[in-house]
Amino acid sequence: MSFNEADVQAALKNLIDPNTKKDFANGKSLKNIVISGNDLSLDILLGYPAQSVWKELSSLIETHLKSALPGAGKISVNVSSKVVPHAVQQGVKLVDGVKNIIAVASGKGGVGKSTTAVNIALALAAEGARVGMLDADIYGPSQPTMLGIDGQPETDGANFMKPMTNHGLQAMSIGFLIGTSDTPMIWRGPMVTQALDQLLRQTRWDNLDYLIVDLPPGTGDIQLSLAQQVPVTGAVIVTTPQDIALLDARKGLKMFEKVGVKIVGIVENMSTHICSQCGHEEHIFGSGGGGKMCADYNTELLGNLPLDIHIREQTDSGTPTVVADPDGKVAKTYKQIARRIAVKIAEMAQNHNAVFPKIVVQNT
Amino acid sequence: MSEHPTEIKLHQQSHLLEITFDDEACYRLPYEYLRVYSPSAEVRGHGTGQETLQTGKKNVGVVEVLPVGSYALKIVFDDGHDSGLYTWEYLYALGQNQVEWWLQYLDRLAAAGQRREADCEQELTGGCGGGCGHA
Repeated sequence: MSFNEADVQAALKNLIDPNTKKDFANGKSLKNIVISGNDLSLDILLGYPAQSVWKELSSLIETHLKSALPGAGKISVNVSSKVVPHAVQQGVKLVDGVKNIIAVASGKGGVGKSTTAVNIALALAAEGARVGMLDADIYGPSQPTMLGIDGQPETDGANFMKPMTNHGLQAMSIGFLIGTSDTPMIWRGPMVTQALDQLLRQTRWDNLDYLIVDLPPGTGDIQLSLAQQVPVTGAVIVTTPQDIALLDARKGLKMFEKVGVKIVGIVENMSTHICSQCGHEEHIFGSGGGGKMCADYNTELLGNLPLDIHIREQTDSGTPTVVADPDGKVAKTYKQIARRIAVKIAEMAQNHNAVFPKIVVQNT
Repeated sequence: MSEHPTEIKLHQQSHLLEITFDDEACYRLPYEYLRVYSPSAEVRGHGTGQETLQTGKKNVGVVEVLPVGSYALKIVFDDGHDSGLYTWEYLYALGQNQVEWWLQYLDRLAAAGQRREADCEQELTGGCGGGCGHA
């Protein structure tokens, strides 16, 4: 029995991508269907980075096609990823060399924003994306320590700096520019916002799929400047299940809504504590807080992370968990979260309603 | 968030900002109306009762309109006022309530004994001043 291109498309309509929850014929992912005799080959181009599951997906699709197309001979499915850039108004530049900007924020300090941000960034990089990390915490930069980067960035021409690199990430932080780790930045608001702008725009980002911005806690100068100066693709809110953290996280979320930045979802950090002695798991900060907040604001719970001494030790020593223990349970959770973020960002990039309207000046 | 604009047109001759939203509502907002209802603290103050009545803006022009993040417009007027950030929500409200708010403004002007014309224009329309001697 022979089959044609339409049969292949129809067959793929019935197969759901476990990451996007949409079928593979949907969107522009299906390409290059070649039928020769009874043999079939096709390409699937994912809008999100997923190197670790390419093989899994291609065998999933091959198996599905084999049963859907009886009589087919050799079936070869080639899965790859291409990250879609965030669409902005013509003429408005996102930032040179950056396709998507993802802000990682929280209302409250100490909930593990920087740790979460760096691990998500590394997880996206592990999936094959080009990722940058901008440490927007001017008063308390953490990324130099967490990424294990020492030293100062090189200049590139008169006005640009080259990002520092480690673990495959490009990174920029005020921490690279000040002398010692105990030098405080004793600055008022306007200085801080200017510094942020320079770190963002005067860094020569090299062809990034995602720039992760690690924001300081709160809803002040830095958060507002970022939202006003660049079209941020989306924001991820980090919180703990504790009431007092959720209270502030809600404010953080509302702030982004007010300035038109889409919320990608919420990461609940320190969901449970796992005793390093006996392995007992306990909800020390309460349970279900993140989930409830998601339900209240109609957003997605991207994942739950445990309060685990290893995450702290690995990240403090400059080798975050996703790199230190890439196959461990925690790294898997970070990767899952990263993939969910990437999928949602890809969906947002295709939503043209989010584009800034065209401004036309007429002599009428 | 509610409605999102799809197109913004500046009619520089007729001093109108035309804004179309994704629910197909389309409003033509005069520059003067936008200027006197600027959401800036210079106009609104920091609470009810602190508003500063804007006068003499009949012929105000717009120098440029700049995007602010993905949620608002910054309008630079030719009288130097540029501190108002007009969010999509606010522009929509300005459109929806245009007639009512404009009449309210005119009432406030009249109550304050002020005019829409700037000082020099008042002289011109009044037919006096050095330049317009009797023939």
